Amino acid sequence: MTMNVNANEDVIVCKDVHLWYGEFEALRGVSLTVKRGDVIVILGPSGSGKSTFIRSINRLEEHGAGEIVVKGIPLTHDVRDIAEIRREVGMVFQQFNLFPHLTVMENITLAPINVRKWSREKAEETAMKWLTRVGIPEQAHKYPGQLSGGQQQRVAIARTLAMEPEVLLFDEPTSALDPEMVKEVLDVMSDLAKEGYTILAVTHEMGFARGVADRIVFMDYGEILESDHPDEFFDNPKHPRLKLFLSQILHH
Amino acid sequence: MTAITESMTQKLNAAFEGRINWRYFLQDNVTGSWYLAVWVVVLAAATVAYTINQMNVAPLTTIIILILWLVGLGFAIANGLFKKRTAIGSWLKTNLLGSVSNAILSLLLVLILAAAVRGIWSWAVTNATFDPELTKPEFRNPDGATWGVIPGAWELLMVGRLDREALPRVQMALGYIVVLGVISIGANVAGYLKKIRPLRSILLGLWAITPIIVYILLAGVSAEGDFINSKTLLIGEAVVVGLFLLLWWQRTVKFSVVNLVIWAAAWPVAYLIWRAIGKSEMFPPINVATWGGLMLTIIIAVSVIILSFPLGMVLALGRRSEIRGIPGWLLWPVAAILALWGLFVSTPSILGDIRNQADYVLAFWPILILGFAYLLQKMFQGNVVAAASTTFIEVIRGAPLITLLFMAIIMAPFFLSEGATLENVWAVIIGYSLFSSAYMAENIRGGLQALPKGQFEAADSLGLNTFQKMRFIILPQALRIVIPAIVGQFIGSFKSSSLVAIVGLFELLGMVAVIVSNPQWLGLRKELFVFAGVIYFIGSAVMSWYSRRLEAQLGVGER
Ligand SMILES: Nc1ncnc2c1ncn2[C@@H]1O[C@H](COP(=O)(O)OP(=O)(O)OP(=O)(O)O)[C@@H](O)[C@H]1O
Ligand SMILES: [Mg+2]
Repeated sequence: MTMNVNANEDVIVCKDVHLWYGEFEALRGVSLTVKRGDVIVILGPSGSGKSTFIRSINRLEEHGAGEIVVKGIPLTHDVRDIAEIRREVGMVFQQFNLFPHLTVMENITLAPINVRKWSREKAEETAMKWLTRVGIPEQAHKYPGQLSGGQQQRVAIARTLAMEPEVLLFDEPTSALDPEMVKEVLDVMSDLAKEGYTILAVTHEMGFARGVADRIVFMDYGEILESDHPDEFFDNPKHPRLKLFLSQILHH
Repeated sequence: MTAITESMTQKLNAAFEGRINWRYFLQDNVTGSWYLAVWVVVLAAATVAYTINQMNVAPLTTIIILILWLVGLGFAIANGLFKKRTAIGSWLKTNLLGSVSNAILSLLLVLILAAAVRGIWSWAVTNATFDPELTKPEFRNPDGATWGVIPGAWELLMVGRLDREALPRVQMALGYIVVLGVISIGANVAGYLKKIRPLRSILLGLWAITPIIVYILLAGVSAEGDFINSKTLLIGEAVVVGLFLLLWWQRTVKFSVVNLVIWAAAWPVAYLIWRAIGKSEMFPPINVATWGGLMLTIIIAVSVIILSFPLGMVLALGRRSEIRGIPGWLLWPVAAILALWGLFVSTPSILGDIRNQADYVLAFWPILILGFAYLLQKMFQGNVVAAASTTFIEVIRGAPLITLLFMAIIMAPFFLSEGATLENVWAVIIGYSLFSSAYMAENIRGGLQALPKGQFEAADSLGLNTFQKMRFIILPQALRIVIPAIVGQFIGSFKSSSLVAIVGLFELLGMVAVIVSNPQWLGLRKELFVFAGVIYFIGSAVMSWYSRRLEAQLGVGER
């Protein structure tokens, strides 16, 4: 991977992002700058707006005010900009969201062939490369319904990576998995982090947050309350609500 | 019922130890509750009465049935009481003779069934005549069917008043479809479709041009070239080239000069072929108003099915579309200006020329513009596509089919240019297809709604555009979900095509009405309706069989 050529470049810039669901304000002025190669973990209580925030980065949710710029492209109503950004930003969902009527191979090659306009051969070659990377090349011709949860999530990751995005968004990728499958997915994520992908992950896996993240962001009530290096974040929390949150999740 | 059966089994199982408890047995089967007791008594009385009655009518059958019933009962009892478990005994016990009331009911129903079969058999076979020459009232047996009417009126039933000169062309059309169908099914069953790629494309291509071939055979091509003229040539060319560019943009076809030339030449070539067919006078025009019988039923049903499906799909997607609506700041001023313009221009002129009371109200129609604008904004956030689709669907679904058929015929001239006419058959097919597409849209929308939101989101996040998302992800899944509903609707369209008799088209049932008023076949309703019923049943059964097959085929990989 030769992604670090331009390290320190701002890949995602969010300025004072607000988002409303009808009358309800789910994001109240979120500002965050993500540099190339950053691994950022977002923590916060349920309903604090974590999902809403990372989903607004690839326009699965539409922000109402403020500015989101991805790789220099401002996120507006312009469908061409949205398409461009979605090519560069991959997303992995809590529920995997694999396409049940397509085989694993078809799941992975669909977007490269139709969006990136690759030939089928190239797409399948790349797909096999990624399936090998996530450790399940032998499952290529099965349907998602025939795989375990952990395998499905790894296929979903391979599907996202096959588009060769620069930024990866993870929304609680391990929350729907049985405990024994969590590790296989986290291992893949750690590897990706080491390889220099720019990652924004919502997760409750504290080990991953502490060990892999460059920065941890704490959200509550649609705001970022604290953003810090993991050691500082866990050992020396400043905001009272973060202290409360940490005491709740770490003490049992 | 199961509870009763189960506890009875327990009691009976206890019986081989000689401990059958008759008190429990009676309680389970008769005296358990007062309505059970009443039911058993009434049932027993009715069965005894009916058995005696049948003894007089048909002693032999009744005695055979009674003996069989007693033997069956013996098996069932042996099964329960004496550890003599036999397959037939177990089957009888679970299915027919599980309890006292079930046992009685079985006897009664078998007797009734036997009587019915006997009656039908004697009418349809024993007392029936089959000779087409002996259908006149004076030759008929009042207790038997006169099946001769079916072969006698065969051509009327099949093609109606169609010119008999044109029969070979109908046979050619039928032959074409049958041969193509047999080849397709055969190739599919033998597995050649998957092995030989070109075969699949060729068959698909032949199916795709089937409507055109059938049209040429059954409607014919006039030497003047009908609606094909320089104007349609130009429009057609634009459409074909536009389609090519669209497909190229979607990367479904490769762009190359050769490809473009082939596409661009397609329409003119088709035009020349059409003219050549017309000039050759091989297939001179047939008056479509003479179409009738089963042929017309099939033409209408198949056209409606073919047209309503894509139309319904467009309407369903339209109704769910989330395009950016016309914003209020634009809509309101425009609506206000239009309304004001109407009020100042149209209203005074109508008021100045009042013909009746209603005109006083009508004159203020521009106010409606504001009403529509309000609804558009309030209900659809200015989304014109969703508003138009929804309105179309709801209006069509709010009207009975018959109304629409009349409307199609009466209104058709208003949509046509001066001097042009539209045969009733076409008007009916269009009207019926619109009707059907509204229901189709709702069926398909049901399938779209059933898909988890995550499927849409995954497709979006991968960067697929709307067309690709629908084509590859959403529709394949949504349509599979609604296959039963869609095929149900196809079956409905097939059967309801009989309604076109009301607007003067003589499809199968319309022809039946014509045939029974013919002196030769006067009043032979039963025979003809049984025949029509069998045809409708076969058509519907084939469709539902195919739907189940399709479902199973598309179910691959589904959880
Ligand atoms: N489609 C929606 N319509 C209305 N409100 C919504 C919608 N989606 C989310 N919300 C609200 O927005 C707030 C933020 O939701 P979000 O899903 O971002 O929370 P979260 O931090 O991801 O929580 P969790 O940890 O439970 O996933 C919540 O209060 C939620 O109820
Ligand atoms: Mg969430």
